[in-house]
Amino acid sequence: MATTKVPEVRDITRIERIGAHSHIRGLGLDDALEPRQVSQGMVGQLASRRAAGVILEMIKDGHIAGRAVLIAGQPGTGKTAIAMGIAQSLGPDTPFTALAGSEIFSLEMSKTEALSQAFRKAIGVRIKEETEIIEGEVVEIQIDRPATGTGAKVGKLTLKTTEMETIYDLGNKMIDSLSKEKVQAGDVITIDKATGKITKLGRSFTRARDYDAMGAQTQFVQCPEGELQKRKEVVHTVSLHEIDVINSRTQGFLALFSGDTGEIKSEVREQINAKVCEWREEGKAEIIPGVLFIDEVHMLDMECFSFLNRALESDLSPVLIMATNRGITRIRGTNYQSPHGIPIDLLDRLLIIATSPYTEKETRQILKIRLCGFYFRCEEEDVELSEEAHTVLTRIGMETSLRYAIQLISTAGLVCRKRKGTEVQVEDIKRVYSLFLDEARSSQYMKEYQDSFLFNETQMAQMDTS
Amino acid sequence: MAEQSWIDILKLSKKTALIHDGKRKIHYLFTDGKEMAEEYDLNTDELIVRKWRHKSTLGAQSQWQVEVGEPLAGPVTSLDSDVIKENCANPVFMRKDTKIAFQWRIRNLPYPKEVFSVFVEPSERCIIIKTSNKKYYKKFSIPDMDRYQLPLDSSALSFTHTNNTLIVSYKKPKDILTLEQELQKELKKLKGTGEGDINCKTQ
Repeated sequence: MATTKVPEVRDITRIERIGAHSHIRGLGLDDALEPRQVSQGMVGQLASRRAAGVILEMIKDGHIAGRAVLIAGQPGTGKTAIAMGIAQSLGPDTPFTALAGSEIFSLEMSKTEALSQAFRKAIGVRIKEETEIIEGEVVEIQIDRPATGTGAKVGKLTLKTTEMETIYDLGNKMIDSLSKEKVQAGDVITIDKATGKITKLGRSFTRARDYDAMGAQTQFVQCPEGELQKRKEVVHTVSLHEIDVINSRTQGFLALFSGDTGEIKSEVREQINAKVCEWREEGKAEIIPGVLFIDEVHMLDMECFSFLNRALESDLSPVLIMATNRGITRIRGTNYQSPHGIPIDLLDRLLIIATSPYTEKETRQILKIRLCGFYFRCEEEDVELSEEAHTVLTRIGMETSLRYAIQLISTAGLVCRKRKGTEVQVEDIKRVYSLFLDEARSSQYMKEYQDSFLFNETQMAQMDTS
Repeated sequence: MAEQSWIDILKLSKKTALIHDGKRKIHYLFTDGKEMAEEYDLNTDELIVRKWRHKSTLGAQSQWQVEVGEPLAGPVTSLDSDVIKENCANPVFMRKDTKIAFQWRIRNLPYPKEVFSVFVEPSERCIIIKTSNKKYYKKFSIPDMDRYQLPLDSSALSFTHTNNTLIVSYKKPKDILTLEQELQKELKKLKGTGEGDINCKTQ
């Protein structure tokens, strides 16, 4: 008998993976911009966090365009963390675009085009637009999953107002977002018809007496009146790049044949700049300069740097934040050496924030935060780190690198679980420390055994000639 | 005065006519960038389709919005589209005019006639259809009357219900009838070309 394997249906809300910086929720400053020692996932780096706070205020004011900041420091000193902290504190309404320096090298578009697109993605325009929304109380949601576990789900949603009732067919994306928002019968929701965005307004008053466990924050609202579909003016933020794309698409049926690749004509951009300025003067739109974050900025070459120089002078320019871990090195595309691999004329425009290596105490705290984060997300609350193991891990963090120590947390956790322990002991740490090499030990190993590796001689010969 | 203005707008617009499939098709391009397309039956001169299209604030071309005639089936929106759409069992609202009346048909309404109440709301310049079983509700205006800025009169309104279809009629007032006849004459003067590319005929 053939048994079809039914894949486990997992709740979408739970799939949140742990990234390197997912524990950061802000810069951890108080109202006077004084950094707290440990707050919002940030530890130490007091001076640079304070500096970032000043920049943050500048961005929030929104009056200054075309400023650039460079965060420079050794590897693993929290440069990206600071940038993420700025992004988190800005909130969802200010555009924040992050890219790595090597991302702009593509065969499909030129470097400067990629950079200008990134610049324009980082500038928001708040504008009123009329959209069609559906607003009503949920009567019933019915979602049918195919018995085999694969294939499209089908769903039906019945919505009502005080006057009418309508049944809607749901697409796959809609079903996903409905279950993500945990919409259930009795909720009053609005759906943006064009984008499919769902907003939960609250629960209907008619359901107030339901015997149901509800959080204290549940709001009760009236069932909407009149028609289900309404036209409403909504204020939303779009980036300049999105407006570019809308206006540069080939109209009519030709749009079917032209893929959405690449370069946007400069005429289109100029037209849109003029239009946006017009809207701003008429009071129809508001320009929100956002933040463009370029990580590993030393990967850019000379052409890009001179483009940046010029782009920063435009009045429609976001705040540019760059990060690098290089010292005095060659500027790509030239034979000149320069600090951080950035030409002096661009460096001259920058405000530079330096990060310094973490102290032992700070390392300890970061490891603790990461540990909590790891075990909390994995719902393995009964696994803990013993005091001695924590100390050992901190020492490893100080002697090798913070990143390596963080890697060891998760691996040691796994080892501990395999031996059915409840607390990560020093032996677990020792075990994984012997299993996985850190960078220094790996280099050491290379030096000792390089003769037995492949291509060894040819490489040595090359090194001699250079 | 106000009547005049809509006619002026029509006169100023760029019109293109085309006779195809037993229908006279006219495309209007207005000075503010809006577009209107109409189709008339060649024999009876009845209006079959009137639809509108305009550009959104951000510059995107929107879909055609049907004012009169069968609602368009979306261009390539397949059945398993990603977002949301009405189930086919829901009431379908459409306008289909006759010579002497504006008429709306709402299909898929399997309720007895007593359930429905249709009345004019003069303050909001619209007609409201209500159901006592709270299954259907619709508020709509008559764009033609708005364009000529004529008041709505509840005595001109009537409705019937047959074959699961609710038919609401509103008798066209005299002004509209004469204006429509005038417009017909003008449109017939437009040289309708056959098929293929045609030169835009401007008045």
